[in-house]
Amino acid sequence: MLLRGLSWLVLCQLLGTGLNVLLLPMLPGPIIGMLLLLLFLLVHGEVSEPLSLASSNLLKYLPLLLVPPAVGVMAYADAIAADFWAVIGALVLSLVLSVVFAGWMMQKLIERQQRRRGDL
Amino acid sequence: MSLDWYGAWQALTHHPLFGAGITLGAYQLSIAAYERTRWMFLQPVLVSMVIVIGVLLLCGLNYAEYKVSAEALTLFLGPATVALAVPLFLNLRRIRQLFLPTVLTLLVGGVVATVLGVSLAWWFGADSIMLMSMAPKSVTSPIAMLVASQIGGIAALAAVFVMMTGVIGAMLGPSLLRLCGVRHHAAVGMALGMTAHAVGTARAMQESEECGAFAALAMSLMGMLTAVLLPLAIIFLV
Repeated sequence: MLLRGLSWLVLCQLLGTGLNVLLLPMLPGPIIGMLLLLLFLLVHGEVSEPLSLASSNLLKYLPLLLVPPAVGVMAYADAIAADFWAVIGALVLSLVLSVVFAGWMMQKLIERQQRRRGDL
Repeated sequence: MSLDWYGAWQALTHHPLFGAGITLGAYQLSIAAYERTRWMFLQPVLVSMVIVIGVLLLCGLNYAEYKVSAEALTLFLGPATVALAVPLFLNLRRIRQLFLPTVLTLLVGGVVATVLGVSLAWWFGADSIMLMSMAPKSVTSPIAMLVASQIGGIAALAAVFVMMTGVIGAMLGPSLLRLCGVRHHAAVGMALGMTAHAVGTARAMQESEECGAFAALAMSLMGMLTAVLLPLAIIFLV
């Protein structure tokens, strides 16, 4: 079960890598693979048991898989130190503004939709 | 009889599984620490990263060597990214009624979040390689890391910025939103999920079921949109 789902995921990733080289050099292979799988799910209409098993198991360990790339920071310590405060400032400020903006916009749009439905 | 301690130590630290081994160990330690304390700053990825870097420095290994010996783990990052399609699909089905508000907020808000972050950092004087690494800061780390390396940033830096954004967002987001009068659960979830990805989603789930569902949806859609549109936008702009 698990292996069958995993095979599907690997297949999508490999197809994505192929398409990346052939047609879409600007999109990473795994992302194309994700879009392929989403397309397949939309057409198919449901998530099969092996696929849901494999994906939930793999996603459970996603943080672990991200540790090795994150360790790469040690190779760029100097670059980070040079721009540290600029980046932190930009991160915090843009985050505060965009959280509020997104929440406010969504709330306004929901209220508008509800009012319209009320009119009808 | 003299034992070859030095030889044994060398064989151990240069074994092709050493990197995977210390990563597994560090990850389990940091998960245990997080579960015991539930303290937001103890993000497992961040803590594991610190532990692994410490071990590598102690053993005198560099990143290039670690990267090769941790390959057993990184190989699965691709299929895991593909697997993100499953929660995305499940969430898409769940929220049909609010489809239009969701999509509009995502497009406009996503552009605002990305452009604001990059232009502020540029204005504060950060390097272009830094800018490219922080452009995908609002999306979940596998996507952000892939996108960052695609557009000329550094995947590892992207991971750090993503983590910082997530932690700050989950810390400040809910009270900021309350302060600004955003009370609808779907709106709070959207805002947290699309700016603070997985950490924000985890925070949203504490608010309510609806809030969490929208956060998960916003996170996966924002990830997909960023993955598809950001590399394209960079090609047209640069």
